[in-house]
Amino acid sequence: MSAAELLTDAGHVAARDVVRHAGLGSTLRWEVRKLRAQLRTKAVLAAAVIMPIPVAVIIHGQSRPPKDSLFGRYSTENGFALALLVLGFAAQWAIPLLTAIVAGDIFASEDHHGTWKTVLTRSAGRGRVFWAKTIAACGFAVLVLLLLSVSTIASSVLVGGHQDLTGLTGQLIPSATALRLVALSWVSLLPTILAFTCLALLLSVWSRNPSVGIAAPVVIAMVMQLVGGLGSIEAVRPFLLSTSAEAWHGLLASPRFTGPLVEGVLACAAWSVACLTTAYLILRRRDITGG
Amino acid sequence: MRRSVTALITAVLVVVGLGIAAFATGGDSTITRARIERSLPQTFSNLYAQQATLLGHQGVTPDSLQATAMCDKHGPDVTDVGPGGDWICLMSWKDPNVPMPPEGYGKFELNVHSNGCYTASGSTKLTGYLMITDKRGREVTNPVFEFDGCFDPSSDDTPTGNSFPSLVSITSTSVTPDQQGRASVQLGCGTGADGCAGTVVAKAGATVLGTQSFDMKEESTKILTFPTPLPAGTKEVAYTVTPSTGVGPSSPSTLPVQNGQS
Repeated sequence: MSAAELLTDAGHVAARDVVRHAGLGSTLRWEVRKLRAQLRTKAVLAAAVIMPIPVAVIIHGQSRPPKDSLFGRYSTENGFALALLVLGFAAQWAIPLLTAIVAGDIFASEDHHGTWKTVLTRSAGRGRVFWAKTIAACGFAVLVLLLLSVSTIASSVLVGGHQDLTGLTGQLIPSATALRLVALSWVSLLPTILAFTCLALLLSVWSRNPSVGIAAPVVIAMVMQLVGGLGSIEAVRPFLLSTSAEAWHGLLASPRFTGPLVEGVLACAAWSVACLTTAYLILRRRDITGG
Repeated sequence: MRRSVTALITAVLVVVGLGIAAFATGGDSTITRARIERSLPQTFSNLYAQQATLLGHQGVTPDSLQATAMCDKHGPDVTDVGPGGDWICLMSWKDPNVPMPPEGYGKFELNVHSNGCYTASGSTKLTGYLMITDKRGREVTNPVFEFDGCFDPSSDDTPTGNSFPSLVSITSTSVTPDQQGRASVQLGCGTGADGCAGTVVAKAGATVLGTQSFDMKEESTKILTFPTPLPAGTKEVAYTVTPSTGVGPSSPSTLPVQNGQS
């Protein structure tokens, strides 16, 4: 191999490397930058941090505890119970909404602003843009869950105190263990929020409409909760995302049971893979000529 | 247009897929009688021990109570499976401070959800009211007045074999003679294993009005009419219930005669 050949070859390799390097990493950085510039992203993050504080204060101030929900009975006198009551609500309603506000918009906003062509005619290919957006949305979901749980647990314990908690088998859980279990319960929503993120991503890709991407996951979550609560078709429960959002109950029982948690992770993984695959195929096959 | 058709087909496929998957995995409810019968006494015992600590009762631990329960969903003719607010459990336990009634159990009503969590509340005679006064004289929430619990949906589902008899009781509060002057009485048969059967003897003073037998399903009522008319001037009728199945009141019940027939 001559020196000149070697040089051009090295040049090619370098050029390829630069393109590869610029690939996912820089596309992701670009997506994150776009997210950071958006008001809604900041609003969601701020809400996740701030909202639990008034919620904790208001529930704690009730003269009659909200007994209809799990842990509501003790929520006015025990901070851990308060954090778990909020978890029960967040798992069914807030989690799908908070993540969908970003994930449901992340693909559709390119349609909304007519920027697909601009994005794709730069160095990034469709696959790369897809993964960058997916990773950005999932990262955002994890961040939201983290902020929401830390804020809820901190404000609940500060407002409600950290007495021993009565668990779901009537057993008394010592304060230190209770804190660990409450934190674990919040962490157990991770698969659920990621699965809802993937669902929102799919709807965002398919509908090309930010409103559908944001609203539909919330409606689907609602329908799943409704279906899961019906007596006659209980057999579908293990396959619903709303069931994985309740799997934390087992952590607060004695003896602890983790069967629903494992089933929840599997169900969420299946939903996520199915949603992402479909979304990827739709985006790959899509004819992007306008915009 | 094409996209919405595809989406519709996909949605239908997802629903059908879920249905098939659900059918393939058995399709039975995880909410069963055996699981509730195991979970309720456990949760109750833990909370009852908490209550005993609050009240300053000695010698009560979750184990010392030896609580057992028998549960039933929606009366005798319905399989005891699935969520709902119509679960009834009879539970017995041993607390030297609070003796059990003659039938040997207290009745609890449960609202069981499809996720395996339930809310239970029971007879306040045995468990007390919402607020109780603790040993230091403070008003505190009674942990067993109403309580929540959850059980493992894949926990042991072999039948517990727990069984309690139904309680036969006289539900009438007075005697209203019919046109022939005959007395009648209404019996109620509570939740229990085999329903209620036995005889009732009615007496007006020294006059025996008759003996009637009964055979009832659990959670039902029945009116028995006695053949001999009431003697003139009868003020009250005494009914003695002798159950052969189920448990009855230990002493005869005396009911006043209503209306002006005297």
